[in-house]
Amino acid sequence: MTLSKEVYAEFEDVVGPEFICNDPAIMPSYYATEFAAVILPENTAQVQAIVKLCNKHKVSFRPVCTGWTGKFQAGVVLLDLRRMNRIIEINEKNMYAVVEPYVITAQLQAELMKRGLHLNVKGAGTNCSAMLRGHGHLDQSTGGDDRNHLAIEWVTPAGNIVRSGSLGSSDEWFCGDGPGPSLRSILTSATPPGVTPGVFTRAAMKIYHWPGPTKFPIVGNSPNYALSEIPANFMTRYYSFPTMEKMWQAELKIGESEISFELMGFNVAMVAANITTSNEEEEAAFKRLSKEVQGPGFLIILAGNSAADFEYKKRVLNHIVNAAGGKSLASLEDPRTEGILMCQCIRISASIRETFRPGGAFSSIPVMGQRDLTIKWAIGAGKAKEPLIEKGLIVDDGGASFGWGVEQGHLGKTEIFCKFDPQNAVAKQAVQAWHDEQSARAFKERYFALLSPGQPEEIGKALSNYHVWWNKLQKELDPNRVSPEGGALV
Amino acid sequence: MGLEQYKGDMDMCCRCSTCKFVPMQQVSGFQYANVCPSISKYDFHSYSGGGRLNIGASMLKNGFNYTHKLLDIVYNCQMCGACGVSCNYAMDMEVMAPITEFRIKCVKDGKTHPALDKIIAGLRKNDSMVPVTGKRGDWAAGLNLKDATKEKVDVLYYVGCLTSYDKKLQKLARSTAKILQKAGVDFGIAGDAETSSGGAAYEMGYEQDALDQAKKTMALIKQTGVKTVVASGAEDYQAIKVLYDKFKLKGDLKVLHIAQYIPQLIKEGKLEPKKNLELAVTYHDPCHLGRLGEPWVHWEGKKVPGDRFVFDPPKVYRRGTHGIYQQPRDVLKSIPGVKLTEMPRNKEYAWCCGAGGGVCDSNPEFAQWTAKERIEEAESTGAEALVTACPKCEKTFSAAIEANGSRLKVYDIVELVEQAIE
Amino acid sequence: MEQAALVNAIGSGRVSHDPAELESYSSDVSFANRVRPASLVKPRTTDEVHRILKFANETKTPLVPVSSGAPHFRGDTVPSVGGALIVDMSGMKKILMVDRDRRVAMCEPGVTFGELIPAAQKAGLRLNMPLLPRASKSVIGSILEREPVVMPKYQWDISDPLACAEIIFGTGDEFRTGQAAGPGTVAEQRAVGGVQKAPYGPGTASLHRLIQGAQGTLGIVTWVSMRCEILPSLEEPFVVGSCDLDQLLELTHWLIRQRMVNECFILNNANLATIFANPAAADYRSLKAALPTWTLFYTVAGGEYFPEERVGSQIKDITEIAQRLGIEAVRTVGGISANEIMKTVQQPCANPYWKLRPRGASQDIFFMTIREKLEGQIAGMAAQADRSGYAAADVGVYIQPAVQGTSFHCEFNLFYDPGNAKERNRVRELTSSATKSLLAGGAFFSRPYGDDARMILNRDAASVEVLHTFKKIFDPNNVMNPGKVCF
Repeated sequence: MTLSKEVYAEFEDVVGPEFICNDPAIMPSYYATEFAAVILPENTAQVQAIVKLCNKHKVSFRPVCTGWTGKFQAGVVLLDLRRMNRIIEINEKNMYAVVEPYVITAQLQAELMKRGLHLNVKGAGTNCSAMLRGHGHLDQSTGGDDRNHLAIEWVTPAGNIVRSGSLGSSDEWFCGDGPGPSLRSILTSATPPGVTPGVFTRAAMKIYHWPGPTKFPIVGNSPNYALSEIPANFMTRYYSFPTMEKMWQAELKIGESEISFELMGFNVAMVAANITTSNEEEEAAFKRLSKEVQGPGFLIILAGNSAADFEYKKRVLNHIVNAAGGKSLASLEDPRTEGILMCQCIRISASIRETFRPGGAFSSIPVMGQRDLTIKWAIGAGKAKEPLIEKGLIVDDGGASFGWGVEQGHLGKTEIFCKFDPQNAVAKQAVQAWHDEQSARAFKERYFALLSPGQPEEIGKALSNYHVWWNKLQKELDPNRVSPEGGALV
Repeated sequence: MGLEQYKGDMDMCCRCSTCKFVPMQQVSGFQYANVCPSISKYDFHSYSGGGRLNIGASMLKNGFNYTHKLLDIVYNCQMCGACGVSCNYAMDMEVMAPITEFRIKCVKDGKTHPALDKIIAGLRKNDSMVPVTGKRGDWAAGLNLKDATKEKVDVLYYVGCLTSYDKKLQKLARSTAKILQKAGVDFGIAGDAETSSGGAAYEMGYEQDALDQAKKTMALIKQTGVKTVVASGAEDYQAIKVLYDKFKLKGDLKVLHIAQYIPQLIKEGKLEPKKNLELAVTYHDPCHLGRLGEPWVHWEGKKVPGDRFVFDPPKVYRRGTHGIYQQPRDVLKSIPGVKLTEMPRNKEYAWCCGAGGGVCDSNPEFAQWTAKERIEEAESTGAEALVTACPKCEKTFSAAIEANGSRLKVYDIVELVEQAIE
Repeated sequence: MEQAALVNAIGSGRVSHDPAELESYSSDVSFANRVRPASLVKPRTTDEVHRILKFANETKTPLVPVSSGAPHFRGDTVPSVGGALIVDMSGMKKILMVDRDRRVAMCEPGVTFGELIPAAQKAGLRLNMPLLPRASKSVIGSILEREPVVMPKYQWDISDPLACAEIIFGTGDEFRTGQAAGPGTVAEQRAVGGVQKAPYGPGTASLHRLIQGAQGTLGIVTWVSMRCEILPSLEEPFVVGSCDLDQLLELTHWLIRQRMVNECFILNNANLATIFANPAAADYRSLKAALPTWTLFYTVAGGEYFPEERVGSQIKDITEIAQRLGIEAVRTVGGISANEIMKTVQQPCANPYWKLRPRGASQDIFFMTIREKLEGQIAGMAAQADRSGYAAADVGVYIQPAVQGTSFHCEFNLFYDPGNAKERNRVRELTSSATKSLLAGGAFFSRPYGDDARMILNRDAASVEVLHTFKKIFDPNNVMNPGKVCF
């Protein structure tokens, strides 16, 4: 659907001619979709005005932050939130930061580190918006999923501005819940399969103590960055274990003893990806590291608040690892490699080298929730990858999955990738089949359900009919159905 | 092959947006996180490195639809290469090459920018990328320099169009010459015979003109018989060293930028900066000396069939790692009283001065906007002076300083060295 | 309401129309208007709750769910309208699961803290509790009311410790939140090794957050699972007394920021004396006089590995911070040992409930706030109390750092004699005027109860509009506790 000249002019009146475009030339840069227009609002008032116009003319809209992924219908008005990129507040005493959608995590993180603070970094990477819902490397000590949000400013699909919690009542960002029932029940931001309809224009995020340096001492030129020294009271190690069960036991105890700053249940393929600067190097490193490990493992970063705290954490870690028969990957103990991995995992969240670099695409089944349960499922999903690896259809990562405990092991996240060349139709098809089979198995065997738009009715039915309620909510909140679902908005 | 050879690379773009920012580890705060002037100014994703690749991939597949907007996107890019550096921190794919090829295709298809056409017309007519007043070698009057086209010398000092013809910048040529004289280098210039390097023409998309200039310039160099060329302009240095190598014209010619040559002369004891200059400075890495200045890598190969984007033989990407970063800093540190403070964006992830890719001619306002951002960044270091190693940077910065009432001074590195060795 | 129809629908053994029993639900310690319910039902099973909802929807009978035993304090369990059916859930008393490795427990609404604590302890777990809940307090009741908890370190999200819940919505539909939603029944999930722990989802919505704070206006919860913490093997309690609240808040900030302490809260001398004075000996005044204005209490704990070393290093680090601030952590305050405080707050309150001890009743004013505003709000409350004739020094103050240091729960306890009309009216008026000025001073009343709820909610019309959308969907016939919150 294209906008008539008159309607286009109405949108143009909101943002000015510089910040709206419907030229076909720009469309391919924004996904493979013919948008009705791309609009760059500058503030909440403009977002509201745009949404109201969308309602008036029954035109659908979708917002994006940095816009890593997304699936869009043709004819949608795309709100590229790039101009909404301000850090509104960093409240050190009350441990929260307020940001607009296009503040990337790396920016907020750098500002926080200067103040002895940091934040949860989503798996999508520090190149993505700081205000999203999600999971990442630092979940062990900084929570995850929708649990880092405090108050949120939300332009509803109907064009109302709702300010949740303390923001609506007392103009402060510290609490997102109440008065009474919490609007955070639906203000959960962007995560597959759906997103809260409307647009989040500002959000307060919980922030956390950072015992490290105000800035990592990086030396070298890209991509050969390394740390000139390992920061005081920091340590990064990778431990492998004889069995998955032993690894889980160690992970469980590490969570319970609250010693870990970051615990990343990496497979060595992901370690190899992170410490290397090219695909060739990565392949060689993977082969080398695979020979060094005895089985599945995890990367752990310890961060002490003091020398005594650090020593204690190290002692406990050694005890737990030894009890579980764990073995440190000696080649990662080299301080240069250790520093690369530490900085990579904290400041970048590792994502791109380990996902897109090898083949250009990856298919993933991410599961949030109960770590031990999802590990059980992932073992089978990993085995099912092996024939694809043998046929050379996907990148060899040993068939492994990855994951970590969230909130010192209270919750968890497990994920499994197939990295492949999207130009290879056979590979694409094989990966899709793997994805379908393994998510169907997860559902059938009652591990979890991977939700997606347009999923079969039986999935919703088996999940307390959640879809019925969500559809009702959407209908009420979005009477003109101008805020469609689909895709993440990282 | 043109753009087609980069289809695989363009398809690799995962739209992660790192091309818009300095490498994530180097993000030092809210400010100065951006690295691409184009997306920073124009905001639509299309103006980013990734957006450009997405457009290229799509148009290869679906046909080229030249709209006014498309050309606006194409020509509002300094071709500074910063997007490629940030992308190639993590990804194995060509970024600047397909962006350049897209521009070349536009020119071949007649979709040019009138301001750039004018420049190229000047080049074809006068062998200069800048307006010609007087003769190319006028700046050397009274310096008693050797004419390398007439007498044998060890080193040819290649001056470049802007430094030769721009009255305000001719001082850089004189400083360079004095430094070389002081060091006792057996060098000469080509004087009026010097030809435009054509580097800027290439980045504007005029590939054939660039190639013509390369051939002419190399013929001249060959005629002089020198084995070493020293350039004081970063763009020319990059053209002769990198582009000519890409064109397979460079041979075994040794190409040095003056900022690279000076530390060598100091080390050999031929120069000694003695005079205390008492100056707090910050250094701007010219794109063509830094990330774009790293050597060309000749490679031919094929993608290995299978899961990974790997090639046989393995492809070595130019990721901005091996640019000239340290030597200019060594020069500054060797000058007594000069205190160097780095800007937040430096070396391979430095912010462009704004002039590259023909933007200083096609969209001077954008060039000035870009320069202003750099001036503010330089001021944030507390420096009194911004030092660079490229006449185009100096020209752009000087204009921005004047327009914005900044107190910052701009020097080329040769100006400081000349003062220090007096 | 047709009594026979009710009995017919639910079963005679569960229904009561005994006037004395109904009378006991018609009022509470708060200033809520006395409204006598028409009937009372005490379900024992989820199926019975289903039948109650069906009956209510068919007959448009207002339902008032109650989980805890008396005395009630906030008016939320007193009907706002006539003809109500009290649904007293206290008979559903099963502890359904305690799982050590997954740190989770599940129970029905009738289970009290006194009952769940030992069950958790047996498995090596503990609950993150509110401060000294009364003996009759339902664990689920506390969690659904988003009551503050005494270990802010473990409160990652304000919804903690709630994990999952089963709710029968006002429509009569059953729903399970978070991981418990499925796929499959709870039994099917258990069979494959699943516990009901992850709170978010399914899908975009996280409806556990909607149920909390709803005061029973959206449905009736039949079980809740909650995250538990590992029982420490070694605990060292400390107190820090000061007349400088800011100093204590600064220390508290660092203790929580670096996650060095478990229990952590601040009481003023009135509240600490109220809790620890011997009711029989009437030594409240002398104890209060012996106490500093403010007392910060915290515990340092060690777990399975090298607990002495853990506790030792934490104490050392805390000492350094305290010294920097010029204060000292000690083991007793005004004759009360830190150990006694620790033992006391790790259990529900002994009878009589501490808030009733001084004068027989207490009106609580509580809200969420931040550091910058807290002291001003406390001073404002004191001035207001004095002006009203209620001695500011007698106002109990409880400051609970919340959600890992992102906010504070601040609570003023106004003790009074409910039999004394003048005293009662004074407290009632003070509550109303103080609430108004606290609101003006930025206090966030995230859990609004009683008379002031409307005033509080009126400040945020946009949110209220969305809440009404929820209500329309989940309780279209408005049978669930009508008159509460904004419904």
